[in-house]
Amino acid sequence: MSESPLIIDQVRKTYQVKSKAEVEALKGVSFDVKPGEIFGLLGPNGAGKTSLISIITTLERPSSGDVRVFGESVLKNPTSTKKKVGIVPQEIVASGFFNLEELLTYHSGYYGLPNNQERINELLERLSLKPHAHKMMRQLSGGMRRRMMIAKALVHRPKILLLDEPTAGVDVELRNQLWSFVRQLQQEGVSVVLTTHYLQEAEALCDRVGIINKGELKYVGPTKEIIQKLTQKKVEVLLQSGKSVHFLMSPNQDLGQVLQANQISLELIHDIKTSEGSLEEAFVKVLHT
Amino acid sequence: MTPFYFLFRKECHRFSKVLVQTILTPLISSTLYLLIFGVSIGSQIQGNGSGDVNGTAKYLGFLIPGLMMMGLMNNSFQNSSSSLVSSKFTGDIEDLGVVPLTRNNIIWALSLASVVRGSVVSLMTLIAGEIFYYVQYQEFLSIAHPFWMLYFMLVAGLVFGQMGMMTAFWAKSFDQLSAVTTFVILPLTYLGGVFISIHQLHPIWQMISLANPLLYFINGLRYSVLGSSDVSLTSSAVLAMAALLVMYFLAHRLFSRITFTRW
Repeated sequence: MSESPLIIDQVRKTYQVKSKAEVEALKGVSFDVKPGEIFGLLGPNGAGKTSLISIITTLERPSSGDVRVFGESVLKNPTSTKKKVGIVPQEIVASGFFNLEELLTYHSGYYGLPNNQERINELLERLSLKPHAHKMMRQLSGGMRRRMMIAKALVHRPKILLLDEPTAGVDVELRNQLWSFVRQLQQEGVSVVLTTHYLQEAEALCDRVGIINKGELKYVGPTKEIIQKLTQKKVEVLLQSGKSVHFLMSPNQDLGQVLQANQISLELIHDIKTSEGSLEEAFVKVLHT
Repeated sequence: MTPFYFLFRKECHRFSKVLVQTILTPLISSTLYLLIFGVSIGSQIQGNGSGDVNGTAKYLGFLIPGLMMMGLMNNSFQNSSSSLVSSKFTGDIEDLGVVPLTRNNIIWALSLASVVRGSVVSLMTLIAGEIFYYVQYQEFLSIAHPFWMLYFMLVAGLVFGQMGMMTAFWAKSFDQLSAVTTFVILPLTYLGGVFISIHQLHPIWQMISLANPLLYFINGLRYSVLGSSDVSLTSSAVLAMAALLVMYFLAHRLFSRITFTRW
C-alpha cells in the first residue's frame, strides 16, 4: 500500500487574542489525503480551514499535533516537506518588481531548480499565460493573476497541491478552466486539497470531503457517500391524469415501496423523475448536528 | 546553496530595477555633502584635528570615508527593510515562508544583497569624492588599507542589512519603519563622526560618542582610507565583528518567532 501523501494528526491551534482569552481555531483535527485524490476541506468562514492550510505549509506552527507529508513531519523536516507541497493562497499576490517569467525562475531557484525553463514554459503554455510572460503581475487581469499563482505553486512539480479558495471571485469560464486543470493534475498523480465555499464545485471535483466547523472536524468521507447518507432523493411522479406528485425518499427506501405506500399503481404513471440530494444539503445537515 | 543564491540574486535584481531610487538618489545626496561641506566649507577648516593627530589631513579627505560609511549603512538598512516591507504589502512575503529556504538562507541572502547595494553607493561616493579631491588638490586620495576597507564595508553592510530585516519583520506599518530610520539610524549616524572628529567635542560628549556603535564603523572605514581615525583600529574591528555576531544572534532568534504574514 502506498504511503498517505498527507496525514493531519490531532492538530490543535490556539491563538491569543490580545489580552482576551485564547481562541481555539483547531480542536484536534485528524484526517488523511490519499494518493491522487481531490480532497475538499469545507466549512463556513472562520471554521479553521486556512489555519490548517497554513500549518501544512509551515506558515504557522500547531499548538499540538503534527502534519506528515509522505511520512515526514512538517515540524521536524520543514525544508523537505515544503518541496513536496505547492500552495495557491486565498489572496492574490501582487509581486511588484518582476515579470511572470522572472518570478517563476526565482521561485524555481528557491526549490533548488536552477535550470527549470522547460517546466516554466510548459506551465505558461498550459495556463494560457505564454503571451503575458514578460508582463508584471499588476498588468494582468484577476483571472490571469490567479492562473499565475497556480503556475507558481506547480513550478517544482509538487506531489500535493493546496488550493485555498482558488475560485473565489472568478468568472464561470475561468472556474471551468481551473476545474479541468485540477482534474488533469489528478490524472498526473497529484493529490489536491481544495478549500472552497462553493459546494457545487466540491461536489463536482472532490473524491472525498472533510467538513470542519468551529475548529472541529465533523465529517470525513467520500463525497457520494455523505450525499447518500444525509440527504433524501427527490422523486417526481407524472400521472396519466396530468397531475404530478412529489416525494422525498431516504437512502434505505425502495421506489416501489414508496409508490405502494402512496397507492400509486404502475398503470397510473406517465413518467418518473428522480434527483439526488446535493452536497449543500448534506453540508447544512452536518453543521447543524 | 541554490535557494540561497536565487534569493540573493533576486534581491540584487530588485534594487537594480529601481536604480534611480536605490543608487542615484543617495549618490546625489553624498555629492551635495561633498560639494557643500567638503569643498566649500571644508577648504576653510582643513587640518583642523579632523582625525589626523598631526593636523595635516584635509577636511575633504576626512569627509569622504565618513560619507562612504553613511551611504553604506543607510542603503544596507534600506535594502533589506524596504524589500521585506514591500513584500508584506504586496503579499509575496508568504513565499519566503512556504518555499524551502532555511532561516540562514534568508538572513544571509538578504544581508549580502544589502552589502552589495550599500557597497555600490559607498564606492560611487568614493569615486565622486576622488573627483572633488583631485579638482581641489590635484592629486587622488590614496586608500591606506584596502583590506580593512573591504572588511568594514562587508561587516557594516551585513550588520545594517540584518538590522533592516529585523526592523521590517517587527514593523506593523510604514510609519514604524520610518520611525526607526528617523529616530535611531539618522541621529546615530550624524553623531557618529561622519562630519566631525570627536576630538573637537567637549570631553563629556566625547564619552557619550564612544557609546555610539556607529562611531566604530565610521572610524574603521576612515582608518582604512586615511590610515588614522578617532578610535583605534582594534576597537573598531572588534566592535564591528561583535555587532555582527549580536545582530546575527538576534536575527536567528527572531526567525523562530515571526510569521511570514502580509499586512
